[in-house]
Amino acid sequence: MGRRAVFYLGLLLLLLAVLFPLYWVVVTSFKTTRDAFAIPPVWLFSPTLDNYRTVFANRGFLSAFANSFVVSILSSALAVAIGSVAAYGLAQQPGDLRRSKEKFILSLRIAPALLFVIPMYYLATRIGALNQHWLLIAAYAFVNVPFAISLLITFFDDIPKELRDAARVDGAREFSVFWHVYLPAARGGIVATLILCVLFTWNEFFVALVLTGRDTQTLPVSITSFLTFQGIQWGALTAAATLIMLPMIVLGVLVQGQIVRGMTLGSVKG
Amino acid sequence: MTTTASDPTRHFFQPIIVCLTVASVALTLFVIWISLHDLSLMRAGREKFVGLDNYLRFFGDPRAMAALWRTVLFTALATVIEIALGLAVVLFLDRDFAMKRLVRTLLLVPIIMTPVVVGLTWRFLFDPATGMANYLLSLAGLSQIDWLGSPRIALFSVLIADIWQWTPFVILLVMAALESAPTDPLNAARVDGAREWQVTWYVLLPMLRRALAIVALIRAIDSIKAFDLFYIMTRGGPALSTETLNYYGYIVAFTNFDISYALAIAVILTIFTNVALLTMYSVLFPKAGER
Repeated sequence: MGRRAVFYLGLLLLLLAVLFPLYWVVVTSFKTTRDAFAIPPVWLFSPTLDNYRTVFANRGFLSAFANSFVVSILSSALAVAIGSVAAYGLAQQPGDLRRSKEKFILSLRIAPALLFVIPMYYLATRIGALNQHWLLIAAYAFVNVPFAISLLITFFDDIPKELRDAARVDGAREFSVFWHVYLPAARGGIVATLILCVLFTWNEFFVALVLTGRDTQTLPVSITSFLTFQGIQWGALTAAATLIMLPMIVLGVLVQGQIVRGMTLGSVKG
Repeated sequence: MTTTASDPTRHFFQPIIVCLTVASVALTLFVIWISLHDLSLMRAGREKFVGLDNYLRFFGDPRAMAALWRTVLFTALATVIEIALGLAVVLFLDRDFAMKRLVRTLLLVPIIMTPVVVGLTWRFLFDPATGMANYLLSLAGLSQIDWLGSPRIALFSVLIADIWQWTPFVILLVMAALESAPTDPLNAARVDGAREWQVTWYVLLPMLRRALAIVALIRAIDSIKAFDLFYIMTRGGPALSTETLNYYGYIVAFTNFDISYALAIAVILTIFTNVALLTMYSVLFPKAGER
């Protein structure tokens, strides 16, 4: 009995350590400035929506929301479309050829973003593309395509080869096998890949910081604007932070089984 | 070869592989070209060839050297602590209990949280006057700490935020590996009279070796490139005490506009990352004959 009590106490401490920072930010977003900075901290208070009103009154934040939405959806859809075609082809190749291509694709992900962001920034300033959405969409598609290929291969591998052989015997062309057999069979995996790409793009900061202009700022870049004017507006900041992460936590819980798989892919297979 | 050349499945991946290859080769050449010139965004179009000057400058630049050392320190600490802590939690949770699925879901939260938000959260908790961290210290009767304002402490405060965000990732991955591991060897060892710590040390850990090695490699790659937490929590300060190489490269490029030197730094960072990875890889996955 004593051991069980110790175990549950430990579990409680673990969950507290994991969840408290998140809880504190969300709770602070519903506090008045006075409650937010009270020492000792106020645990019970009458909630207010003032901070959310401030955030929604901020035009920059709203347009950043729209930018983040458009950029993550489009670049992820593009990456998954390109990636699924490539992954289908690679999944049918014999071991050696396939492994060498997979290694090349993985190696693209090791280089620091600095290495390709600086040349992109330089070229973008020369052609005046710095304030345009397509630049950001292209940059993220470039980052997401290798990821989508390596993850989708693992889903296509789960599909029995007999399905493809049967369709081929019936005289189906390669593209129609891909379109009518593989895509429907790997539907769950494709959706998971798409969601992981959206999650990554939505959360990404460095590329966005460098490659966005006034009109194309995404949410992580836009939120830093609360950091500068006359100190930090913690109330509005925590409200904005809650709005940014909430959709991703919902999406993440939807694909929870795939997240660890997605983040380790390739490396797991060596 | 003629049979594979007519294989239509090749057309599915070849165009993309060719595109990626061309893009990465072109990018590499462009990066090398820029880093061998003295290109600045302030006076684009008037650059001249300077050879290896940017690379030589790096090794004589005390700020770069300090940033390199800090990157090594941060990466080593983050990787080791996250793996050790994660493994400890996995062993602790290795039993059947109600809500195990729920715990797993909750552990996912830090991983999918936007890193910028994680940085803001910890900056909020570490606020010297009104933050929760100092309040807890005062409850315990300890003296206050200037978490992000002291050059001796700030790097470790950022480290805490990194550990908070990524230890759950280690936990979930190692947990998955543990669950797919066979239980027969464990039971066999117990039947043979091994004590519980012996079972863990001699049977369980060797089975988890591969998973631990993989997660260590992933965490090392990500820690070397860490940027978001530093930008949000400290901006490399105070007194440059949290400036990593990646962050320094960013400052050189976008504050000083010296993109040639910044790319030289990026190239060195890439080489450094690859050397570190290869070293880690050969330590973690020794060839069968060498042991």
